Amino acid sequence: MGKTVFIKDTAITGKDKTRDFYGIFLGVLREKGLENSVQLVRVVDIGLYDQGMVVRVLPENYLYSNVQESEVAAIVLESVVGNKPVQGKLVAQSSKQMRIVLRNCGVIDPERIEDYIAQDGYQALAKVLAEYNPEKVAQEMKAAGLRGRGGAGFPTGIKWDITRKAAGDQKYIVCNGDEGDPGAYMDRSVLEGDPHSVIEGMIIGGYAIGASKGYFYIRAEYPLAIERIENAIKQCYANGILGKNILGASFCFDVEIRLGAGAFVCGEETALIASIEGKRGYPSPRPPFPSIKGLWGKPTCINNVETLANVPVIFLKGPAWFAGIGTETSKGTKVFAVTGKVKNSGLVEVPMGTRIDDIVYGIGGGAFGGKTVKAIQTGGPSGGVIPKEFFDTSVDYESLQKMGSIMGSGGMIVMDEDDCMVDIAKFYLRFCVDESCGKCAPCRIGGTQMLNLLEKISDGRGVKKDLEQLQQISLAMQKASLCGLGQTAPNPVLSTLHYYWKEYNAHVNEKKCPACKCAKLVQYLILDDKCVKCGMCFKACPVGAISGNREKGYVIDQGKCIRCGQCFEVCKPKAVGRG
Amino acid sequence: MAQLTRSDLEKIKAKHTGGNRSWIKVGFSTCGIAAGAQDVYDALVEEVRKHNVDVEVKKCGCVGMCSAEPLVEVCVKDMPRVFYGKVDKETAIRIVEKHVCGKMLVNDRIYDLKFN
Repeated sequence: MGKTVFIKDTAITGKDKTRDFYGIFLGVLREKGLENSVQLVRVVDIGLYDQGMVVRVLPENYLYSNVQESEVAAIVLESVVGNKPVQGKLVAQSSKQMRIVLRNCGVIDPERIEDYIAQDGYQALAKVLAEYNPEKVAQEMKAAGLRGRGGAGFPTGIKWDITRKAAGDQKYIVCNGDEGDPGAYMDRSVLEGDPHSVIEGMIIGGYAIGASKGYFYIRAEYPLAIERIENAIKQCYANGILGKNILGASFCFDVEIRLGAGAFVCGEETALIASIEGKRGYPSPRPPFPSIKGLWGKPTCINNVETLANVPVIFLKGPAWFAGIGTETSKGTKVFAVTGKVKNSGLVEVPMGTRIDDIVYGIGGGAFGGKTVKAIQTGGPSGGVIPKEFFDTSVDYESLQKMGSIMGSGGMIVMDEDDCMVDIAKFYLRFCVDESCGKCAPCRIGGTQMLNLLEKISDGRGVKKDLEQLQQISLAMQKASLCGLGQTAPNPVLSTLHYYWKEYNAHVNEKKCPACKCAKLVQYLILDDKCVKCGMCFKACPVGAISGNREKGYVIDQGKCIRCGQCFEVCKPKAVGRG
Repeated sequence: MAQLTRSDLEKIKAKHTGGNRSWIKVGFSTCGIAAGAQDVYDALVEEVRKHNVDVEVKKCGCVGMCSAEPLVEVCVKDMPRVFYGKVDKETAIRIVEKHVCGKMLVNDRIYDLKFN
């Protein structure tokens, strides 16, 4: 293979100098007469961020960052002509990512079972059916230390063991694919990209607990995921991987799909069970836990999509291997859907215990357009925010809980300096108020009251007592709500109150929104001394609140202004002030 | 295929692994499809047919770089394996013409990322 050189200017601010550098580099190659034998390529993303000019030399894969013009000759001489690294300049490169759940996503064709089998698919199932009894399967899972990836983090092995030991003539295993957290879509990607691994995990789970039937509960908003799972199930039946005598063993197992109709609360296990039974998706008090009395009163094990996708690998590589990844209490990896104000939004799978800044800056590439990251939000509407001062926290169940957030299903929303924390709290709370089923009073009334208070605060009508009241209602909801939705709904409010007390104070006492997000507390003004009378703001205003012309200048009519901020965004000389 | 057994799995695996045929993969999850993966796939298939090169165009799930969809991964003999991001029809044509046929990587389109 000939030499290939990748280059990219990774500076976050300023002009992209990749092309200029390309010319310089090419010049050096020409001097040496290498321009035809070496491929010099400008790339869009080189995996490093804010580290100046980055050069990668293939096939040896030497990586250099902060490369100066004067250093090009040395790189060409040592690494391109010779095959050696430039001493003292080499950058260590180790991807923080580790793919267990996403091992086949983007690798195999999800619609072809042969592709999955070629990646050791169904080998774990064959091994389990031939060599292990159900008790041993549960033991192995306990040894692996896998914890439920749906949010609460209950150890999967223990759950399987409890369900296995529960008395019942019929047992069920359910795959919870009702992923509803705003910004989270790991389960969708796994179902779409690697449906067979989830099915294999479910069959192994079914064998462990003694179930003969499994249900996929997938939200109807995921049509492609449903299509791929349906197709995969059909292929399994055609190949003797589902149905009677699976893979020639005596075990029989059937799978059906149930669609969720779009209620967030149906991700809660008791509500999910009611929904599968064909009833209204209301939660019911626990205990009895579904492991004892679940679907149609029978012992039922409910596992998340990501949890099940972990199972085949655990049995292929052994529980000891799996237990060696991650931290003491949180084993394995976790998939995060990194979204929001981050350069590379997408799915990230990292070992438990990875630091937040490694995810947000190292993999996500930091915020857009030279802005600074303010905080992240994990765990969806049940979680909380973590300010950037605490980005050295590692992601595992306990550490996140200590920070007042939770692991949750794996949404990680990045917020930058333009995001107002009161607004964020309001957003998540409104989500929970909309999705509250209304069965219990603390959640139904408490949520609405809290939302009213938050709206009051962001409208500039807040008084000091409101902040105390927010905390009081939060406490009542946490203590008295029937299910997880209500118990955790105040979390975003509590965590923003805890970390951003100053911001709440500014809203209440000074009637100001520090992030300039809350419309009622912001005013846009044209600063005459900076205005160049270009008229951009005039064109951008969607409601015609800006009047004037290119001779006289422009003025904003505060009565008509809706505080959308578009004039602020388009003004090049920064002559639109806000505050 | 009917009733597979454990040994059949090994046989299928052996049959479908190995080989050094060149391939192009297009991400076909919701993120990719929404970004226009179907058009890219069609363009790639059409170009490969036109140039009559031995390369398999395949579909796959999402590799995780959702913001760079449609993603196209290209593996050609004696060339580095790379991801092209935000691929449109024109880039798809250039990938086949330059990368697959001409053995030259396409500038300004590669997302050089390692996942494992």
